[in-house]
Amino acid sequence: MERLFCDPRRCVGCRACEIACAVEHTPSKDLFRSVLNGELGPPRRRVQTVGAEPYRVAIGGVALSLSCHHCDPAPCVDACITGAMHKENGQTLCDTEKCVGCWMCVMSCPYGAITPRVKALKCDLCPDRRGRTGRSRYACVEACPTEALFAGTFEEFQRVLAEPIRAVWEGAQ
Amino acid sequence: MTERYVIIGASAAGSSAAETLRRHAPKAQITVVSDEKITYSKPLLSYYLAGHLGEEQLFFKAPDFYERYGTQRIHARAVGLRPEKSIVELSDGQKLQYDKLLLATGAAPRFPKIEGIRREGVFGLRKLEDAQGILARLPSTKRAVVLGGGLVGLKAAAALKERGLSVTVLVDSPHVLSQMLDESSARIFEKIFEQNGVTIYTKAKPVAVLGTQHIEGVQLASGEVFECDVVVVGKGVDPRLELLEGTPIRKDYGILVDDYLRTSVENIYAAGDVAQARDVLRGEPWINALWPCAVEQGRVAALNMLGRAMSYRGSMRMNSVQFFGVPVISAGLAVLTPGPLGGRPGEHDETLESRPAPGIYRKIFLKDETIVGFVLVGEVPIEAAGVLRILMERRVNVAPIKEELLELGPDLGRVLPLIVEHKERFVEREFQELVQTVGV
Repeated sequence: MERLFCDPRRCVGCRACEIACAVEHTPSKDLFRSVLNGELGPPRRRVQTVGAEPYRVAIGGVALSLSCHHCDPAPCVDACITGAMHKENGQTLCDTEKCVGCWMCVMSCPYGAITPRVKALKCDLCPDRRGRTGRSRYACVEACPTEALFAGTFEEFQRVLAEPIRAVWEGAQ
Repeated sequence: MTERYVIIGASAAGSSAAETLRRHAPKAQITVVSDEKITYSKPLLSYYLAGHLGEEQLFFKAPDFYERYGTQRIHARAVGLRPEKSIVELSDGQKLQYDKLLLATGAAPRFPKIEGIRREGVFGLRKLEDAQGILARLPSTKRAVVLGGGLVGLKAAAALKERGLSVTVLVDSPHVLSQMLDESSARIFEKIFEQNGVTIYTKAKPVAVLGTQHIEGVQLASGEVFECDVVVVGKGVDPRLELLEGTPIRKDYGILVDDYLRTSVENIYAAGDVAQARDVLRGEPWINALWPCAVEQGRVAALNMLGRAMSYRGSMRMNSVQFFGVPVISAGLAVLTPGPLGGRPGEHDETLESRPAPGIYRKIFLKDETIVGFVLVGEVPIEAAGVLRILMERRVNVAPIKEELLELGPDLGRVLPLIVEHKERFVEREFQELVQTVGV
């Protein structure tokens, strides 16, 4: 199954993925309108600083953009008392109609990938972008100006990691 | 020959086991026995009682779940177990032959042994019929007394308050939620309940439920009487062990199971609120009667019944609940007051605490620089619960990030170096991927 990964060598922590994610999850799907209409919610992906001092330097990377790993078995699905959180074709999805906000999933997710805001909010792999995608199927991947975000299998991502990093314009030829 | 799997109990553990069995054994004969006609989510009963959910919203599986999974669901009670013949006897006279049996009989509410406790109008809140019984009485009910200040008691109290009743909670312990919170955290919720018009009496010892035709009140040892028309009991649950009578299956408080969730008798497994299994924090078998644990145990038991050796990692004391819009997540033993309430002395040697604003509270308990418990109150603080919990479960030394622990959000990134350092404890595929990712 296709999942999303972030190359810490490329991520500069600009948070463009966060804003793209938040906008994608509004009715208007437009930054200006969603701010104007007060539609903007929290992003389901977060840019994080890897490590606290003194580790930050030691680890090499500075920032990393993380969201749900769509794991299997998923602790959040086990934890859900309503059946809202479920697996579908390998994806971990939350049916917010069913969610009652008990936050069992928030307690259970070891990656901190679920945001409690009345309903459990998490990465849903952009279902609304089907049929209207641009460069990428996913809003965050499309928004990433340094091409740090990658959609594919982990094996494919490993091949990316094995390559030395080049500037985006160098790879374009 | 087709393998015959029999599961007793159709709630969290039972249905999770049935689903797993079917996924891996398409042709097996799977029979689920339940004394309840439908499968619904027991933790949602308080939402139903409050009027937030209708009956049809209590299903955590599709109504045709058992059909869809090609599973026979029998509405009967298992009344006898003959391990020497591999037979389960049902209340309708049927005898079921099994190759592998899962006991997921769950737990039943614990009623205090006081005068009048079996009177009509005294309810637990464990079954749909309990909630229906309370709702049927609402038109003629003005005042309710809740016995017990635990999770179920307080959820019932909040629900009845929302229904417009005058509600009094009588708590044995010195504070509410004594199985979930330390005293100072519990006081926050006592205040929230009082602000919302629910009266809480701690250190209250009820001795009798009064009334003749109808319930009239609850009397305390002091002689004081709280008048009411309905009584709800929320004093915890006990595992249902009736089926074990006359069998050699080993039990303690619940059914004792090993790390493969096998009982002491061949081909019989146990999962859920009835199973006393590995507890990662206590180091001895324990029952953490929690929905997530029951689902996971059901799945692990099923995999072992299928012959795929799968070790159960163990459960821990944890809980998440929201009262009047204020959420709280707590985990670990250090949170509990040492003594009969379940806490153990010397569980922690340091506490970190912050209360930057009303309704926002964080408290983290440490021992030897390792997290041994935490309480998080408020929508933003609880975001850190999952990450703190995994650090606690994997016993990671958090000294390098101690200064930042109280400010931690859902910041896996901040703790990633610790995970890299202890990568052998984070065997899950997703953690290993992260370790490889930041290792480049």
